[in-house]
Amino acid sequence: MTFRAVVFVGLCVSIGIAWIIESGAADVFLEATRPDFQKIPLGIAGIENMGGSESPEGRVKLGTRIEDVLKADVRRSLVFALVDLPSFGIKVSHLGAEPDASFKQAAENGVSVIVWGKAGIKSGSKDTDLSMDGYVYDTGSNEVVGGKRYVGSTSVARLMAHRFADELVFRYTGEPGIARTKIAYVSELGTARELFVMDYDGYEPRQLTADGFLNLMPRWSPDRRFLVFTTYRNRNTQDIDMIELATGKRWTLVAQGGLNITPALSPDGKALAYSSSHEGNAELYRLDTHTKAVQRLTTNAAGDLSPSWSPSGRELAFTSDRNGGPQIFLMSADGSNVRRLTFDGDYNAAPAWSPRGNWIAYVCRTPKKEYKLCVVTPDGQKHLQLTTGLGVDDSPSWSPDGRHLVFSSTVDGKSQIYMINADGKDLERITFSGTHNSAPSWSPAS
Amino acid sequence: MKMSPASYLPLILGVIVLGIPACSKKAVRSGGDTQALQGEMAKGGTAKEGTGSSFPDTSFSGRDDSNSLRGLDRNPSEERLSGNGSGAGNQGGTGHSNAVIAKADSGAAARQLAEIRAEQVASVSAGLRDVFFTYDSFSITDEGRHALSGDAEWARSNPYAQLKIEGHCDERGTSAYNLVLGEKRAKAVRNYLVELGVTPTHLSVVSYGKERPFCTEHTESCYSQNRRGHLVVKTGK
Repeated sequence: MTFRAVVFVGLCVSIGIAWIIESGAADVFLEATRPDFQKIPLGIAGIENMGGSESPEGRVKLGTRIEDVLKADVRRSLVFALVDLPSFGIKVSHLGAEPDASFKQAAENGVSVIVWGKAGIKSGSKDTDLSMDGYVYDTGSNEVVGGKRYVGSTSVARLMAHRFADELVFRYTGEPGIARTKIAYVSELGTARELFVMDYDGYEPRQLTADGFLNLMPRWSPDRRFLVFTTYRNRNTQDIDMIELATGKRWTLVAQGGLNITPALSPDGKALAYSSSHEGNAELYRLDTHTKAVQRLTTNAAGDLSPSWSPSGRELAFTSDRNGGPQIFLMSADGSNVRRLTFDGDYNAAPAWSPRGNWIAYVCRTPKKEYKLCVVTPDGQKHLQLTTGLGVDDSPSWSPDGRHLVFSSTVDGKSQIYMINADGKDLERITFSGTHNSAPSWSPAS
Repeated sequence: MKMSPASYLPLILGVIVLGIPACSKKAVRSGGDTQALQGEMAKGGTAKEGTGSSFPDTSFSGRDDSNSLRGLDRNPSEERLSGNGSGAGNQGGTGHSNAVIAKADSGAAARQLAEIRAEQVASVSAGLRDVFFTYDSFSITDEGRHALSGDAEWARSNPYAQLKIEGHCDERGTSAYNLVLGEKRAKAVRNYLVELGVTPTHLSVVSYGKERPFCTEHTESCYSQNRRGHLVVKTGK
C-alpha cells in the first residue's frame, strides 16, 4: 500500500468516526454500516382506512395510498427487508392501538419489526384535515416501542408516509433516512430547459425557473435552501446563478464571460468550486461565499470541469482532458497534489464523490462506446461498472445516505431520470412524462 | 403519470403551435443576442468584476432542526405537517416550506422565440453555412474550411455585422464535458475565420453542448447534424 493510500484510509476512518459522533445513536449506526449488515425484516400489517378516507381523486383510499408509499420507502431504505406477513404465517385479524395477537408469532418466524396504522379525515375538524397514526412493534422486546400521529391536509398524505419511513430508519440506524429528500433536475419545456424539484421518488414536481431558454446542472447548498446552476443570460453568456427555493429569489454568483459551468458548493457551504473559460480555456476556480474572493485552482491548456467535493471538503474530484480524452483527477481543495484517478478507457467524466467518502461515481465510456455509470474508490484500487446496455447515462448524483445514485439515461428513448443502488441493483425509473428530464441532483438529508 | 403536466401543458402546446423544430428546421434552435446590451447594463459592474458581490453567505454549520425527526413516542403528540414543498426546510414547523412555483412565463419564452427567429431570418438571408465535426473532434474538416471561406467572405463584405458561433455536440457523452467540447468547436471556427481575415471583435462564441440539438433521434445521421459550429448573425441592438 502506498503512502497516499495509507493517508486516505486514515482520512476515511476519521470521517467515519466524526459521522458516528454526530449521529445520535452510535451503537446502532455502527451496525448499519458494517459490510455484513443484514437488513432488518420488517412487515407492514396495513394502514387502515378510517372514516372519510376517500382520497380527493376518489380511487385509492388515503390509508391505502399512505401504505403504498410507506412500503416503497421502506424497500428503498435498504435498512429494512420488507416482508409479506401472511407468507411468514402471520394472519392479522385486527388493527388497533394495541398489537394484534398474531404479532407474537412474528419473532419466531424471523420478523423483527411490525408496523401498522390508520388514516382518515379527522372527526370534528375541517373536512380536509387528514390524520394518520402509525405504530411500531418490536418482536425482540415484544412490545409497541412507539408511534407517530400526523395531521395535515390531504395533500400531505405522501409526506406523512415519507416522514414515518424516515422515523423508522432513524429509530433503527440513527441516520435521518432519505424518504423526505428531494431531487433537483432540468426538464424541457418546448425548446427551453428549466429547473424543477421533485420528491426523491419522482412525485410532486415543482417548476422553479421560467426563463424560456437554458438553465443547466443544478446543485444543492448543504442547508437545502438554495440551488446553484448555470444560466444562459441573453442566450449568449453562461453565468452561474443561485436560486432560493422558498422564495424564487435569484442572485448571480459568477458572470465573467466565457463558459461558466458545473458549480458545486463545498460541504460546509463556504466555497463554490466551478469551471470557467474566461481566461482562455475551462479552468477550475474556487469562490469564497463569504468574502467573494476568487482563487484559481488549475493552470493548463486543457479543459478542467465538474468539481465534486469530498465529504470532508479537503479534496476535489474533477474532469480534465489534459491527457487527451476526459479523465477523472483528484486534487486538494487548494489546487495542490493533483493526481489522475481513472486509467481505463478513453472517456471518463462527471465525477460525484459519495457522501460516505468511499466511492466516486462517474460516467465511463465502454469499449462499445456506450456511456454507462462506473464507480471507483478514491485510491483507484477498485472500480466497477454499475449499468449496462443501451442509452447514454449521465450526471450521477448520490443519495445523502450513500446507498443510491440518481442519474439520467436515454435507455428508454428520451432522457429520463433513474435511481439505482450503489451496488448496481434495483434500477428504478422515477420520471415518466415530458420530452427530456436530466441533470438530477440529490438533496442533502434533513 | 407521475409528473402532473397540467401546469406547463399550455406552454408546451404553445410552443408546438409556434413550431417545434424538426431536424431540418435547424435555425429555430439557434440563439441570439438582442438582449445583450440590456443585460450588461442590468448586471452593472458584476460582469467586469467577475463575480456577483451581494449573494447570501451559504456557509452551513449543523443541520436545521425545524424539519428534523422527533423520534417515535409511546404516547405520540400530534405533529402537524404542512406543504410538501421544495425541501427548504428552515421555515418552521415540521413540514417543508412551499417552493415558489415559477409561473409559466409565456412572455419570456415568447420573447426568446421571437429573438431566435429574427436571428434565423438574418442568418438565412446572409447565406451562412455551418461547419460539421466528427465524433469526439473539434478539428475543422476540408468541407468545413470550404464552408467557412464563404462565411468569411460574407463577414468581410459586411463589416458592421456581428457573428455568433454556436458550438453544438451530439447526445453522446456527458452534458458537462460536451459544453467544453462545444466551446472548443466554436473557438476552432472563430480562429479559422480570423485566419481568413475576419475582424476578431466581430465574432463571439457560445457553447450549447448537447442542450440544444438540431435533431433528437438516436442515429448517426442525426448525431452528425448535431456536431456543429452554427453561425448566426446577431440582430440585437
